[in-house]
Amino acid sequence: MSQIRNLKIIILIIGILLVLVIIRNSDRNVFKEKARTAVEATRNNSNLITLNQLKKLTSPYLIIDIGSEKRADSLQFQHAVKIAFSQLLDKANRKVLDEASGELILYADDIATTSRAWVILNQLGYKNLRILTIENSPEELKYKFQPDTTARLEQDTM
Amino acid sequence: MDARIKYSLLLVGIGIILAFLPFSATDSFRLKSDELLSKSTSAENSLSVDQVARMVNKEDSTMLLIDLREAGQFKECNIPGSINIPFSDLLNPWWEGTFNQKNIKKIFYGNGDQTANCAWSIVTGLGYQNNFVMKGGLNEWFKTVMLSQFRGEKITPLENALYEARFNARKAFTQINSLPDSLKKQYFKAKEIKQLKLDGGCQ
Repeated sequence: MSQIRNLKIIILIIGILLVLVIIRNSDRNVFKEKARTAVEATRNNSNLITLNQLKKLTSPYLIIDIGSEKRADSLQFQHAVKIAFSQLLDKANRKVLDEASGELILYADDIATTSRAWVILNQLGYKNLRILTIENSPEELKYKFQPDTTARLEQDTM
Repeated sequence: MDARIKYSLLLVGIGIILAFLPFSATDSFRLKSDELLSKSTSAENSLSVDQVARMVNKEDSTMLLIDLREAGQFKECNIPGSINIPFSDLLNPWWEGTFNQKNIKKIFYGNGDQTANCAWSIVTGLGYQNNFVMKGGLNEWFKTVMLSQFRGEKITPLENALYEARFNARKAFTQINSLPDSLKKQYFKAKEIKQLKLDGGCQ
């Protein structure tokens, strides 16, 4: 009898823990991916897609336009779904993202916005997610530093 | 029931639950997604290159510039006062002390906007505070600080202050980056020691 009571206590503790874990996991606001996945994808640029690559894409995709409120209609992507960045995680918008078949292509006027959105969605577990870039290599330094040889004379000022 | 068996059963149960957890508590974002989104949409966590230039001129000790490029690029040129944390090394536990300094403004920059904003999101998501991005990165720094010239006829006091700040920042940038490698090494070593002292460590 006492053994059954002891077992009941253990099962109760494990049951409570299990319920807490299930509650935490069912919270769609909790990030579940490892941060390393975002670092790796950004480092090797596998999270980027250029306009040319997009044109050649044969698999289905959906462009999510997250920053086009002030952009002229002529500069909008056709068939793109417009979602304001601040409302990206609203229930209705999450549904659009969840139900999309194929790749999700994030686009905004500036890559800063899409990069932030990409990290959030990547860490929430969205796969097949890429950032559309106009430039082929947005992280390339476009300028070359020219050292000033006379500046060496002022080294003692440090 | 024997107490040992009881505890063993309990531990095995907890172990099984933990093993099936789909995320790692140490390597996953601590912030909730809506919190991170709300921080991400705020314009307050981006600084213009002019703001950074003024901080560089003042040698502002409450800011820390973090250059996210690889070591080779950093060595070639960087904004005075920067430390190098290559993006690929961002999650190295070695940098925890740096990110943990709540009173220091950590300003991330790369060549463009992509890496810095990803780093900002990751570091902020992991729960570190007081993080900023230098808008436009080094490309914008070169365009605005290194290459800009006043072309008008009359200059207002405000414009004068702006161009003076750019000129001083340009001078500091050129001086430090023109140093021979050996002296640059000494400079960064001294900077590292200063940083360790700020962190409360020792060398």
